[in-house]
Amino acid sequence: MSTELLTTSLSILLHGLVATLLLSAASIVGGTLIGLLAAVLRSFGPWGSARVAKLYTELFRGTPVLITLMFIYFGVSYFGYAIDVFAAGVVGLSVYQGAYIAEVFRSGIEAVPEGQWEVSQILGLGKTQTFFSVVLPQTGKIVLPPLIGQYLSLIKDTSIVSMIGLSELMHGGQAIVDRVGKPVEIYGLVAVLYFVVCFPLSQWVRHHDRRSLLS
Amino acid sequence: MTTSIGSKPVINLNGVSKSFGATKVLKEINLEVRPGEVLVLIGASGSGKSTVLRIMAGLETADSGEVWVNDVPLHDVRRAKEIRGHVGMVFQQFNLFPHKTALGNVTLALIKARKMSAVDARKRAMDVLDRVGLADRAEHYPSQLSGGQQQRVAIARALAVEPGIMFFDEATSALDPELVGEVTEVMRGLARDGMTMVVVTHEMGFARKTADRVVFMDKGVIAEQGVPEEIFVTPQNERTKQFLHRVLDH
Repeated sequence: MSTELLTTSLSILLHGLVATLLLSAASIVGGTLIGLLAAVLRSFGPWGSARVAKLYTELFRGTPVLITLMFIYFGVSYFGYAIDVFAAGVVGLSVYQGAYIAEVFRSGIEAVPEGQWEVSQILGLGKTQTFFSVVLPQTGKIVLPPLIGQYLSLIKDTSIVSMIGLSELMHGGQAIVDRVGKPVEIYGLVAVLYFVVCFPLSQWVRHHDRRSLLS
Repeated sequence: MTTSIGSKPVINLNGVSKSFGATKVLKEINLEVRPGEVLVLIGASGSGKSTVLRIMAGLETADSGEVWVNDVPLHDVRRAKEIRGHVGMVFQQFNLFPHKTALGNVTLALIKARKMSAVDARKRAMDVLDRVGLADRAEHYPSQLSGGQQQRVAIARALAVEPGIMFFDEATSALDPELVGEVTEVMRGLARDGMTMVVVTHEMGFARKTADRVVFMDKGVIAEQGVPEEIFVTPQNERTKQFLHRVLDH
């Protein structure tokens, strides 16, 4: 690969990387909020809402993320509205990953012993107070490694949003290959950029896992 | 015990039954506890003694019968919540909040449920931690404390809300033998101070020395009850004799 091609490609790809990072960050926030809500409803919600939360997690865990994205992007225009492709990406990834994140939170909530709820009840704490002051802080330690793992998977899933036309990292790579070819070099470069973002996170998870095994 | 015992019961169980699935764990239990009384429940595992305690504390609901605790009808689902924050309970597994220091464990309910200021809550917490001999461990996390110390923090946390009654559910069963003494010592101190206590325990020494009344439970019924001397020296019921023979001669 010539130096000129490398620098031009890099400038296009870095531009795409910014979009990837923004999409990831917004979807991580959205997915975490949706996941936490679904986990809480499924564990403590009244009967009807627990069922809806269960249906939600099962539905999205059982369908490909691309289908979710297509449904949101084209579904909205089907009903006569327009949705920005970035917004469609954020909504699609948040809703899709929220289903997995809900299961991460649910296993964390269930790992907190029943005795913590019982003693809180005796001490006069309400259910909501117990959840936020006693249970949720304890789940942090349990859910953080799998949660980061889920975030990693979300970051990689952003590449699929290129399919509905968002100019993120993957889309940038495709655009270059379409013009100059050299798919091996260009996609190799794209892969390196994803890796540079994801590797520190996966290292952190490994480090954290080893530490909690030791403690 | 030399402390005076009031006459009007603070706990009154009237014909209380409870089943878990097809298993009847309590059959028509009648039991009264008077203010200042130290009642010790003994019996084999599965005899129903922990269930009686958990019903009194509002953690389980009786299937039938009446349960009055501190003038709250626990059998009435609409009013059962009123008991929360007015009794204390100490569990076998301590149930300390692992993410809070000893001080934080004690102050949490004072601040969140009682709406005390952080300053007042801290002062109250230091008082009760001092009472269980752990004022110097206030900033330690549960994981940095021995089992005996953890259970004493749990007692301090229960005392901080100034409960009318203290329940102990096998509070020393999870402790190494050499750590049992420091916990039973704190419990004896509470009994001397006139605290109403219902204690489920396997520590027969504690039952004998500290109880005002001992209740022996067997297969979901109260088989025999009386002052410690009666139960331990001259038991009448054949099941009581067998049980004491098993736990005392090993």
